[in-house]
Amino acid sequence: MFPSRRPPFHPADRGIGPNVGYQSKVRVIDRYKVIGFISSGTYGRVYKAVGRHGQTGEFAIKKFKPDKEGEQIQYTGISQSAVREMALCSELSHTNVIKLIEIILEDKCIFMVFEYAEHDLLQIIHHHTQPTRHPIPPSTVKSIMFQLLNGCQYLHANWVLHRDLKPANIMVTSGGEVKIGDLGLARLFNKPLHSLFSGDKVVVTIWYRAPELLLGSRHYTPAIDMWAVGCIFAELLSLRPIFKGEEAKMDSKKTVPFQRNQMQKIVEIMGLPTKEKWAHLVNMPEYSQLSTLSTSTHPKSGSNLEKWYYSTINSHSTTSVPSSNVSLGAEGYRLLSGLLEYDPEKRLTAQQALQHPFFSTGDKVSSNCFEGLGGKMEYPHRRVSQDDNDIRTSSLPGTKRSGLPDDSRPVKRLKE
Amino acid sequence: MAANYWESTQRRNWQFTREQLEDLRKKLEEEDQNLVQMYPLPAVRHLSIYFNQQVARLGKRLGVRQQAMATAQLYIRRFYSKVEIRRTNPYLVIATAVYLACKMEECPHHIRLVVSEGRTLWPDFFSSDTSKLGECEFFLISEMSSQMIVHHPYRSLTALQGIFSLTQEESALAWSIINDHYMTDLPLLYAPHTIAIMSILLALVLRPNTTGIQSAGSSAGNIASAAHAALSSAGQTKTGNEKPGGGARTKVQKLANWLAESNIDIEAIVDCTQEIVSFYEFQEQYNEKLAREQINRFVKARGLDK
Repeated sequence: MFPSRRPPFHPADRGIGPNVGYQSKVRVIDRYKVIGFISSGTYGRVYKAVGRHGQTGEFAIKKFKPDKEGEQIQYTGISQSAVREMALCSELSHTNVIKLIEIILEDKCIFMVFEYAEHDLLQIIHHHTQPTRHPIPPSTVKSIMFQLLNGCQYLHANWVLHRDLKPANIMVTSGGEVKIGDLGLARLFNKPLHSLFSGDKVVVTIWYRAPELLLGSRHYTPAIDMWAVGCIFAELLSLRPIFKGEEAKMDSKKTVPFQRNQMQKIVEIMGLPTKEKWAHLVNMPEYSQLSTLSTSTHPKSGSNLEKWYYSTINSHSTTSVPSSNVSLGAEGYRLLSGLLEYDPEKRLTAQQALQHPFFSTGDKVSSNCFEGLGGKMEYPHRRVSQDDNDIRTSSLPGTKRSGLPDDSRPVKRLKE
Repeated sequence: MAANYWESTQRRNWQFTREQLEDLRKKLEEEDQNLVQMYPLPAVRHLSIYFNQQVARLGKRLGVRQQAMATAQLYIRRFYSKVEIRRTNPYLVIATAVYLACKMEECPHHIRLVVSEGRTLWPDFFSSDTSKLGECEFFLISEMSSQMIVHHPYRSLTALQGIFSLTQEESALAWSIINDHYMTDLPLLYAPHTIAIMSILLALVLRPNTTGIQSAGSSAGNIASAAHAALSSAGQTKTGNEKPGGGARTKVQKLANWLAESNIDIEAIVDCTQEIVSFYEFQEQYNEKLAREQINRFVKARGLDK
């Protein structure tokens, strides 16, 4: 045997060795200057930054929270959802999907550096409720929808399900480009080794959750994203979530409860689903629950969506706002009802929705959703706070920073 | 992209020419000349066989499906194209690759389970500290630039087996040839569909002597020339003149015709066939004991198991 001889330590040494642990080749603070804190959520924190080496533009750096914040941080294995997000974002490349710049693995933390987007749909919708409700201009709605569908089409063509589409996750750049963000729940759906159900039991923020999921379907398809897109379309028109249910919490046995209140909200506008229109309805695990829902009208009386649509697009017209959504017309309703179709097999696909006459009639669709607004519509910039600028340190548990938690609405909106 | 090999990071960043791969490896050895001289290692192909055996052992204990093990093997191969083996604890790298591949292939296992199985398999070379594996995961992902979605030839094989009306036995043989190709550099050199076609061709050529591939070593030269003959006829044949004959023979002919009409690089298939056949030949000389001793020696001597 050779005597145990260790090579002298070399500063450029890296890797797993007896003396040297894993060292990142690049350091976040060497490459980026953090200019503020944007938000925090269950995953960690997001910071706004600029490059230190002439990288153009601004960046959003998502820092994944290590498992035990505050205590001595240890490597505990990266969560599966972070692994998915890292892998998917590294592959994806499309104008309407948020662009990943790089990933830095440093000091037991993961930093995902994205292009920065000044706005998001939640913020834009909110802005239109202030100080009084005024509709989002029809050209903007149309452009947002087209770009959103375009991004979805790209994801679905590449076998990626987003699974958490909601206004807060749809970014908009100051140039009016829509970028689908937060692929934290996204997954590939081509030939999963296990059923897509077994991994994570509940998916998609409840207001945007497709009826087949509410009825206990274990079969995930791109159609669940399309339902969410329909809900977002409705919200762009009415400025409030169309199906704003209350989430039933999981009981102590960790069984997933039937989301009665959410299903009720859907039924109030869409009417009860029927097996005549949705062949597989009777096979849904929670099918029996449907009969326990209360309906204001006769069960077979069908959908109130058309009424909802026209009263929504007409509601602002009395306030003499010139840019009323009346111009979205009948095709707007047809697109909406195609997306909010109960039967997932009949629901419009992203590809079909892009071909919809809604986009080919009336004004031409712009690739800048703010085009033509001139100076009259100035959306507020993303709030960036200065009280947590140190991306390297993580605060102790329980010290909530300013900014909106990712999954909830601004307090004002909740009190509506 | 995720479902499109042509736009994937695999094609853009992880497909090399032989020269490039050679250069990468040479550069690693040059950077650590002392280590290389001090700790001789088996040839790359024999190391790969050893790694493959270890992946399979761990995979078996964890009940991991073949595709996830294939992903792990590709991760290991990518990683060692950028990091000198003697700087790492290969057992830790293997376990980490399996742990990460399972997450990517949607069959995750808890880090503690992977570590405890690693401890059982390699008690003298594997720390029970889970944070070691967590740290190695950072290293692995970082060296792969977070490009963890991989395209395997299995899907192409599934798509093609109908076209060439492969029997179950022929498909199974092609499948096992694909399993074997992870012990060669082929996954870093060629597109998954090229590998799949090679596996079909070889399965059809080998099929008549039902003894299968393990016994093929002695007649490797014959196999290579048979495959080569089939392929070179692809250049000349036109469709429509299929000669009647034995089932496998007709299928080879059909494959040759199909290739002649496609845009697939026949040279690449020839090269793949030669590589795998020469691998089978080389496999004969594999000495597991020697491989294990050489690896264990530097791991212990350098304290990499701590």
